[in-house]
Formats: sequence, structure tokens, C-alpha cells
Amino acid sequence: MASVSVRIAGANGDGIESSGALLIEAAAKNGLHVFGYRGYQSIVGGGHVWYQVRIGDSDLHSHGRGIDILVALNQDAILHQKNSLNNNSIVIYDPSKVNVDALDTSKSRAVKLPMLDIAMEVSGNPIIRNVVAIGAVLKFIGMDIGEFDEIIKTRFGKKGDKVVDGNIQAAARGYNYEGVETACKLSGDGKHRYVLDGNVALSYGAYAAGCKFYAAYPMTPASGIMTWFASNESKGVFFKQAEDEISAINMTIGASVAGVRAMCGTSGGGFSLMVEALGLSGMLEAPIVVVNSQRTGPSTGFPTKTEQADLLFAMHASQGEFPRIVVAPSSVKESFRIGAEALNLAERYQVPVIILMDQYLSECVDSVEQFDLDKVSIDRGKIVKASNGTGKFKRYELTGDGISPRAFPGTKGLEHIAPSDEHNEYGELMSDMLAGLDESIEMRKKMHEKRMKKIDTMLKNETVFVPKVINEGAEYFFVTFGSTTGSAIEATEILKGKGRSFGVVSFEYIMPLDKERTLKLLEGKKLIDVEANYTRQLAQVIKQSTGIEIKDSILRYDGEAFTGDEIAERALLLTN
Amino acid sequence: MANNINYTSGAKPVWCPGCGDYGVFAGLNSALTQLGIDKEKVLIVSGIGCSSAMPHVFSTYGIHSLHGRLIPVATGAKLANDDLTVIGVGGDGDGYGIGVGHLIHAARRNVDMTYIVIDNQIYGLTTGQASPTSLLGAKTKSTPLGSIETPENPVGVALAAGASYVARGFAGDPVHLAGLIKEGILHKGFAIIDVLSNCVTFNNLNTGDWYKQRVYKIEEGYDPTDMSKAVEKALEAERSNWSKIPIGLFYKKERPTYSEQDITLKKGPLVNQPDPTKQQVLEALDDLR
Ligand SMILES: Cc1ncc(C[n+]2csc(CCOP(=O)(O)OP(=O)(O)O)c2C)c(N)n1
Ligand code: SF4
Repeated sequence: MASVSVRIAGANGDGIESSGALLIEAAAKNGLHVFGYRGYQSIVGGGHVWYQVRIGDSDLHSHGRGIDILVALNQDAILHQKNSLNNNSIVIYDPSKVNVDALDTSKSRAVKLPMLDIAMEVSGNPIIRNVVAIGAVLKFIGMDIGEFDEIIKTRFGKKGDKVVDGNIQAAARGYNYEGVETACKLSGDGKHRYVLDGNVALSYGAYAAGCKFYAAYPMTPASGIMTWFASNESKGVFFKQAEDEISAINMTIGASVAGVRAMCGTSGGGFSLMVEALGLSGMLEAPIVVVNSQRTGPSTGFPTKTEQADLLFAMHASQGEFPRIVVAPSSVKESFRIGAEALNLAERYQVPVIILMDQYLSECVDSVEQFDLDKVSIDRGKIVKASNGTGKFKRYELTGDGISPRAFPGTKGLEHIAPSDEHNEYGELMSDMLAGLDESIEMRKKMHEKRMKKIDTMLKNETVFVPKVINEGAEYFFVTFGSTTGSAIEATEILKGKGRSFGVVSFEYIMPLDKERTLKLLEGKKLIDVEANYTRQLAQVIKQSTGIEIKDSILRYDGEAFTGDEIAERALLLTN
Repeated sequence: MANNINYTSGAKPVWCPGCGDYGVFAGLNSALTQLGIDKEKVLIVSGIGCSSAMPHVFSTYGIHSLHGRLIPVATGAKLANDDLTVIGVGGDGDGYGIGVGHLIHAARRNVDMTYIVIDNQIYGLTTGQASPTSLLGAKTKSTPLGSIETPENPVGVALAAGASYVARGFAGDPVHLAGLIKEGILHKGFAIIDVLSNCVTFNNLNTGDWYKQRVYKIEEGYDPTDMSKAVEKALEAERSNWSKIPIGLFYKKERPTYSEQDITLKKGPLVNQPDPTKQQVLEALDDLR
């Protein structure tokens, strides 16, 4: 496998994001695999930002460690990025703006490219300098420029021939500039892949599974889901920006009781505000999906950086006991699947499902060949559509599997109340005049057991509540969850190159957990815990549910995402 | 216009004998009966408090939600199914205290629902603490020396926030109240009805008699479309040092509801809209390559 990591770095407002997107599109259109990750800060103007685009000839699981080609748009780019440059790296810089004296010439080769001058010459527009740089990058990685011209035509066609010509010329000048030579040749397979981030994949999955209602209050890094729903109302979905996250989740519950598939999303701060209503969903047995895209905490933390430290919080948020599902998609592709699956599970078991994303997964861009649309089914669970005329409807009927029939407002003869107070089978209160009387003590016990029974039922009926094992038979296994799975897989590939045998045990569905099957999977394996938090939250969960204590850990809580190389290096230290 | 639908459940109310909540029960029941809306199309959403037990005395659909959260729950339900008649019922603590943030936005948003706030100027269910509308000097469990916070003016808040139907009723006059609720339900948009109500057990300042001596019906000829007049009226109670409390319709303005303006909801109730086909999903995915 070959891959090149290109990092475009400069100031906020330099057009870094659109340049990265352009490069990603160019590579994807050439049938290459791409993986993009943006480094940015929680400010709108100024600051140092970068976009790393990794391009490879086979599946990529992370943005890669270090930089092979740096496009330095300003002096800060040299200052902040020089330590991340790999051996044999290339630094493309504009001599009129950037001085490269600080570079370690034994590691990196500096290539002069007067981007600004060329941009002014061909178009009179300074921002086009980025396109000059991209032209050069395409040459370095051995890509054809012809395809790129087509991309420019479709992207800028609306702006007129002059803009298109300027861009095409800018790219060509960069491509052909002296000293710009192909350094490696990546060849694509000609396949057209979807290019998207985790938030968008999740949104598409939910849409495909009939999610009609999304409510949210803006919060990085979950806002991408909001943007998707807000800009796709023409597809028959509805988005409501709420006044706060308390409102967002309560609206979602209202919509769910009224009969639509409903989801809300936020990051940890907003999730904290949603906690009380999570229990309301549990008590009303109103199915909802709540996305928490984790960022570095506590409190406001690093709004634009990643972490996996809300796992235990998500599992235990809200008072009392009620069944819930907690799932952390392991990649962009799986975010689509889980976006769809979560809605089915929520409705089948009438529980809240919490999808734990994280900043890295939410915002990293991956190329995906195809989503498994045939696996997207819509199962709305036990719904009664008409009354059979036999008296009052038992919305909370005590059933063997714990799942009671639902009926939506508007259905004649099935009128009932969905109450947050403890109630009997009809939804009538047990909490006021009856509390403490024998009748209510008995009913409370039965009703609570009915709700909790749904955990056994889902464990019995579903196959998803066990981790996935990759490389069964390996000597060591990285135990991890969510987005860190990708980097762990990459680490196993790197370690294989060094003659070491590693596999991955990836937890997607973490609550509930099929304890017996999980124990069987883990027993006797040499395990190394890899997670992006300080307190080894996944390891704690594993210990609690299987008794297995994982001794070795590779942890990170500096806000940056794991890369495969880093995990591999640290694993070597642990296992030598 | 009475019809033969029975909107009541027959459940024994939980309220203390003499509680104003009975008056609101009567008023709402009468309004529903006068309108004759199909029972299964009515959804009553409440928060938490004595007053929030309201859905249980009705035989319509209901959600008894969280303290202060009935507005977003009701909003979500109405946005999901525009065919429903959604009625919110809660207390003054529920709506003007913990949930007041939602009130402002519901008023701006103009979702077509009717919100009845049973305003007894006390926290009933938690046994008698000061509420946001407790008067200055009111001695309650949480203000044993008398309240020192200026009471909220809910009618003023609703007007300022842009509510398109603002009224005040009195639990001691269920017939008058029924009229206000009925008009509120018929109004296309967010209708709020503040209902002065007595808590016989914990509020011995604002008693039934206290209200009776002070409330008066807004005079004939008052123009409820005039915002300046509405603001004047909203200030009257506190300006008169609570000697004259107007009840009736303060303000009403026709403007498009939220659902009428949203491109998805315009097409009809969300619950009835089809799920995407595989082909539609594939086409949607094409945006990505
Ligand atoms: C989050 C939360 N905080 C506090 C409570 C306790 N609580 C229940 S009802 C209530 C106030 C009741 O007063 P009001 O809303 O005016 O209704 P009333 O009982 O007077 O009808 C409070 C504080 C609660 N249920 N939830
Ligand atoms: S405590 Fe007050 S508000 Fe509650 S039921 Fe009794 S009288 Fe009514």
C-alpha cells in the first residue's frame, strides 16, 4: 500500500478548506482513496489552520502521521508544521511570502513556487494561488492534470469562462513549474467513490431509514448533521433549530410520540442539557436517537478537537434505570449503517439510542465505494394502526418481551396518556393517590421489570451487541471503540510490516453488551486498550461486564486523533 | 352546538376540593365540546405540577411530560402531525419559571397550538413555594419574610415575544374561560391563555375571593389587534396595584404559522410523508461524487 499525506497550511481565510476539498475531489475522481482531516480552532478569523489530505491506492483508515508534502501558505505554516514533516518530505512555498531557513534540509526538500505571482498573472485574483499549489501537488503525486481541468469546469463553470480559464491556467502553471517533478506514482482504480465525513454519512443513513425529524442547537462538532438536514429539507426531511438542547430533545420526543422517526444531535455540553429528557424517553418508551459527537472536555474544552471521554456518561446519564442503547460507529462508512440501524433499534425496542460520534469521526472525510443500501430496512416495531374495539388501549401492556404496542395520536379508539410519572398498563398514574399502596407497589415493580426486560429481549434477538474481531488468530489485540478503530487497524498493518502479529477488537455497540459472547471473544487474548481518554472508560466497561482486566493501555487525551504509526510505535514499546 | 363526544376520562381528579384546576378542567372540556373536534385528534400535553395532571381527566391523547418542557414536547408533536389539535396545560412555575425560555421561542415561532397556563401564583405540587408570579411581599414556604422579587408579567412577556393570540382568563369563570380557549384553539398560531387560579391549600393571599374582587372583563369595543393598547392593558394590573385585573382577549394577530412556511411541512403532516425509496437515496448520494 502506498499513500501520501499532503498538508495545506496557512491562515484562516486563506481558502484552506476549499483547497483541501479540491485536492480530495481530484484524487477521488482519479479513483484513488482519500482521507481528509482539518485542523482548526474555535475562532472564525485568524489563527493557524491546516487541512491534511491523505491519498492512497487502497483503503485508508486515518489521515496518516506526519506530512509528506507541505504547502506552506504563510510563515506560520513553517513554524507550526516543521516538526511534523516526514523524512524525504517536500515543502512547497512562495518565496515572496515564506522563508524556509528553519527547515531541516536533511529531512525535507524545499521547492520554490511563486504562487502569488502566477495567480496574479493568470487571473488577477490572489486566492487562486492555492490552485497553483494544487497543480504542483498533482504533479508530485503523479496524477494527470486533464481530469483536474474537468473538475474546475464543473466547480467554477457557473462563474464564467474567465474564472474557469484562470483556474485551469493556474493549475497548469503549478503542475509544470520547474523543480516540480513527480516524486511518487499513485495509481487509481478508476472507481468513483463517495467523499463525505462521518456527520454526513450518519445523516444519509438516518435519511435512508426514514428519519423525518431532526432537531438541534448548533454545537461543534455535531453541527454538520444539522447542516445536512437543514439543507436537505427538499428531500422530505424536517429540521428544527431549537432554542437550546433541552428543547431539541423534548421536541424530538414529542415528534416520536406523534409518530415520526426522530433524532437530535449535539456535543457533550448539549448532551449534558439533554440528560433529564433522556429519562423521559426511557419512561414514555418513546423511541429517539440522540447523537453526541464528543469533543475534548471537560466544559467547553477544545471545541474543535477530539476525545472519547463521554462513554461512561452516555451509558449512565439521567436518573433511575431504563434500557438504552449506546453505539459508537467505527468509521465514516459505518456511520451510515448505524445512522439507519439506530432508528430501527430505537423503534423496535422503544428506547433511546445514543450514537457516540467524536470530532475526528464527525469531521474526517473518507472515500467510500458504496453503501449497503440493501441492508437498510425500515422496521418500526409494534405499532397498532386501528382499535379492535375491546375497551381501553393498553399502551404499556405487560408483555413477555417487555415491548408494548404503540399507537399514534390520530388513531381512533386508542387514546391514552404517555406519562413521565410511574403508570399502569393504560398510562394512568400510580404516583399520586396510589403511591405506596399495595396496588401501586405491585404495579411499579411489574412496570419497571417490563421496561428493563427489553434489555434481555434485544440481547436475545439482535446480533450486534458483541465487538468485532479483526485478524482473529493474531498474537496481540488492540481493544478499542469508535473512530479509534481505524487507526488501530492501520497500526496492525504497520506492525505486520515489522513482522508482528496484531489484531483489533472493536466495540461498536457498547450498551447493552452480550457479556457471555464478549467474554468468549476476549478470553485468552493478549489485549492492549486503546482509547482517547484518561480513565480507560472502555476498559472499565469491559472489566465490569466480563471481569477481564486489561493491563496495558495506549491513551491519548491531548485533543488530537490517534494515527496508526503512533499506536504501532507505542505497541512495540509495550510488547518488546 | 354541543355534540355527543365525551372528552372526559372519568378518572378522579387529584386536586384539592376547591382548587382552580377544576375550573380550567370545566373550561377546556366545554371548549372541546363546543368545537366537537374528533377526540383522537386532540393531544393534551402537560408539564409537571398539580395543574399538569390535566391530561388524565380527559380521554383524548396526552403526554404528561417534564417540569417546564411541555412547550417543546407539544411543538415536536404538532410539527410531526399538523392534523392534531395540540393543547398545552401547565402551571406558572412550569411555564413562567423553569420553562420560560421555551415560551419566548414558542411565541416567536407561531406553531399552531394553544397553551393554557394555570397561574396560581404559587408552586402547588411542591407544597407552597414562591412562583415567578408571586406578588411582592407574598409569604410562602420559600419566602417566609415575603417575596422581594418583582413578579413576572406573563401577558407582557407573551406580547413582547410575538405571541399571535394572548388572553387571560379566570378559573372562577369557566364559561368565559371556555370562550377564550375555544377562540385560542380556532386561532391559527400560538395562542397563550394565562388563567388566574386559586390554590386553596398553599396560597392564602390570592384566594378565589381576592381574584373575584379584582378581575373584570375587558370592555366591549376594545380592539385586540392594537399592540399598543394590548401593552397598556397588560400593565394595568400592576399599575393599579392589583386592584383591577383585566381578563379577556388582549391581543390577536393573524400571521402565517410555522408549518405554513416550512417547505417540508407545507406539503402536509410529516407523519404522512413517504419514506425515501432506494432509488431516491441513491440519487441523494450522488450529491457526494
Ligand atoms: C427539573 C425539576 N425541578 C423541580 C421539580 C419539582 N417540581 C414539581 S412541580 C413544581 C412546581 C409546581 O408549580 P407550578 O408549575 O406552578 O404548578 P402547580 O403545582 O402550582 O399547578 C416543581 C418545582 C421537578 N419535577 N423537576
Ligand atoms: S395544592 Fe393547590 S394547586 Fe395543588 S391541587 Fe391543591 S389547591 Fe390545587
